[in-house]
Amino acid sequence: MTTTLSRSPRRRTVVALSVVLIVLIAFVVRLVDIQVVNAREHVDEALAMGLQNSRVEYASRGSIVDENGVTLASSVHRYDVQVDPMLAAQGLVSRDDDGTTRVEATWTDLAAKIAGVLGEDPAAVEKVVTDAVAADPGSRYALIAKDVSTEQYRALADLGLPFLVFPPKAGRVYPDGAVGGNLLGFVGGDGQALAGLELADNDCLSSQDGKVVFQQGRDGVVLPGTEVQTEPAVDGGTLKLTIDRDLQWYMGQLIAEQVQNTGAVRGAITVVEAKTGKVRALAEYPTVDPNDPTATPAEERGSWAFTDPNEPGSTFKALTAAIGLESGAFTQDTTVTASSSETLRGGARVTDAFAHGANNYTLTGVLIDSSNVGISKFAEMIPAQTRYDYLQKFGIGSTTAIDFPGESEGILHPVGDWGDQTFYNTSFGQGLAVTIPQLVGAYQTIANGGARLPLSLVESCTAADGTVTDVPSAEGQRVVSADTASKVSQMLENVATQGALASQVAIPGYRIAIKTGTGEKTDPTTGAYKPDAYFTTMIGFAPADDPQYIVSVNLDEPRTVKSSAAAAPAFQKALTQVLKNYRVIPSGTTSPELPKFG
Amino acid sequence: MSAPQTIDAAFLPEFPVPVREPRRLHVVDAPARRRVPRRAFGVIAVLGAVMIALVQMGLSILTTQSSFEIASLTQQQRDLTYQKQILYDEVAGLNSPQYLAANAAALGMVIDETSDGAVIGAAKPAEGASSVDAIGRGSVRNALISGVPLVTDPQKAAGPAAATDTAPADATAPTTGSATPPPISDGLPTPATR
Repeated sequence: MTTTLSRSPRRRTVVALSVVLIVLIAFVVRLVDIQVVNAREHVDEALAMGLQNSRVEYASRGSIVDENGVTLASSVHRYDVQVDPMLAAQGLVSRDDDGTTRVEATWTDLAAKIAGVLGEDPAAVEKVVTDAVAADPGSRYALIAKDVSTEQYRALADLGLPFLVFPPKAGRVYPDGAVGGNLLGFVGGDGQALAGLELADNDCLSSQDGKVVFQQGRDGVVLPGTEVQTEPAVDGGTLKLTIDRDLQWYMGQLIAEQVQNTGAVRGAITVVEAKTGKVRALAEYPTVDPNDPTATPAEERGSWAFTDPNEPGSTFKALTAAIGLESGAFTQDTTVTASSSETLRGGARVTDAFAHGANNYTLTGVLIDSSNVGISKFAEMIPAQTRYDYLQKFGIGSTTAIDFPGESEGILHPVGDWGDQTFYNTSFGQGLAVTIPQLVGAYQTIANGGARLPLSLVESCTAADGTVTDVPSAEGQRVVSADTASKVSQMLENVATQGALASQVAIPGYRIAIKTGTGEKTDPTTGAYKPDAYFTTMIGFAPADDPQYIVSVNLDEPRTVKSSAAAAPAFQKALTQVLKNYRVIPSGTTSPELPKFG
Repeated sequence: MSAPQTIDAAFLPEFPVPVREPRRLHVVDAPARRRVPRRAFGVIAVLGAVMIALVQMGLSILTTQSSFEIASLTQQQRDLTYQKQILYDEVAGLNSPQYLAANAAALGMVIDETSDGAVIGAAKPAEGASSVDAIGRGSVRNALISGVPLVTDPQKAAGPAAATDTAPADATAPTTGSATPPPISDGLPTPATR
């Protein structure tokens, strides 16, 4: 009795437990099936139902700032305006509960509203949709406007038209317009760097868009905790230039006025810091406004100062003098007798710019009068190979350290190709071609006591994570001794005080050193020198007793004054502004007077 | 087997009462006492489960709530970003050297040759000419400020006049949204505060 009584509930328990266990096992098996075996399938199925979504995390292209951190280029958001023509053509339709539809506004009315926001012709906006529908009644895409501002985009979005979409895109704004436009370059409509530093330093500036994957509910609200950043967004770095934007503007305005005053084709002003090689301004006219590059002819959108070399003319005489003094070929006391036109070795014919009798010139005198015959006779004392080697050390014949896009290395023929005429011509800056920065770099060597520093336009690149790269090298290269540099500097001071342009270039209180150059221009079609067309230069530095800044003013084919005097008024203003801008202390001494004739 | 003997003994009054009997009663009491704590445990367990369920529901409600809050704040942030962009577009170019210099020139200020920063005598328009003519011959173009009237002289605009003509469809510059130029008598367009 006891055993039958106790056995029955026990069996029931066992049966019940087994049933529970079987059910449990079934659940576990199904769970493993869902969660592990066929997990991918189910997840995909869920995601296909719109549970998962992703969005692009936009990173912005880095800014370009000047030496003081003022923004020269920055990124902004722009939007395209796309329309669904099939829906738009129906106008704004509302549907009542009983299913009757009512046209609230026709496309013509809406097009007028859109055109009002965009500042365009209503008929043109209307035509976008009517044309698209005419071509294909089922058309779902047409573009109404590109690159609209945020203000216009918000105004359009506020119209609440369901058939308009506004995909965002990166835009670029240059707050100072054409200030430094020649150097900054610009980006295309697709955000691609096209010219200038935007292109050269694209690695620093470019950004990397990120991607965020998340799950969302039916109403689009992101499910908490499901956001995963699969790719991080990395902003572009900040490119800091050596340019001072106020100085750059002043030089831009000044060269524009001077080009207009002299009827020149184009002009440039370059300012370089003597002791660092940093370019503080390089203004050109005409130049490009990177906000609207298409408004400028294609050939004026770059920086010809870097890309187009010219025969420099007499500014090269200072280099010939420095090479002769350094190599010991002659001293400051050496004299030569030179007339205004002479036939030299090998029948080479050399002529001065003005007529004069046989003068017994010192080296200083040759520079002051800019005598081609005189410097040719001094050059005779230097072996051609020595002169060639020193010119290379001065940076002639190779691109500057700036490595600007499209930068030319100029033309410096090997000594073997120099005939007698070229031997003499190269001593006064003909028969070879240099870019403006190359010439300024050579004068920087003289101004900096004979040590040439690599020129730089970029101060640094600061990446989004704070790492700083692209800091210019401060390592100089000795070209000539400090003594030679000082002697050449003193001679150039005498050009400023005793030369024909002395009164035009003087700056009270400061000792300045200058040299002019009037290079003949080759006609690319004939290969011969163009009659009556010159590339004029005035280059110099101040204060000559402790040079701080080198300024070069160049005018291409000035008309009203054809000599280097064309550049003199702008040079005086430019150098004055530089000295004022950087609070350079006046010299306090006067230039030592060197004898012109022996 | 011993049970019948015990029952028989109970019917015999002369027999001394065995010591075992009260012990058996005690044994019966014990399970009755245990039942009370068992029920309490059950109640606590059920209550606990309910509590946990409630807390979980509460937390879930709070999380959902905050995700809506986040959504609304994200929207707010987006609106403010738009506003920032609009304001940035509106002031872009207004601190450019061209615009500042043209404004200064309209006031009669000049860039002089020998400034040491000192102010000498009474402040009055400079008599000498400026070394550059920032207003009459402004030649450094800026599409952002073409046609924007000067603060100091609303009758004039900065920049070369030609730039206004040569750059009619400037996409990057914010247009005011109408085909007509902005009224010059109003001075600078002030940003709308939203």
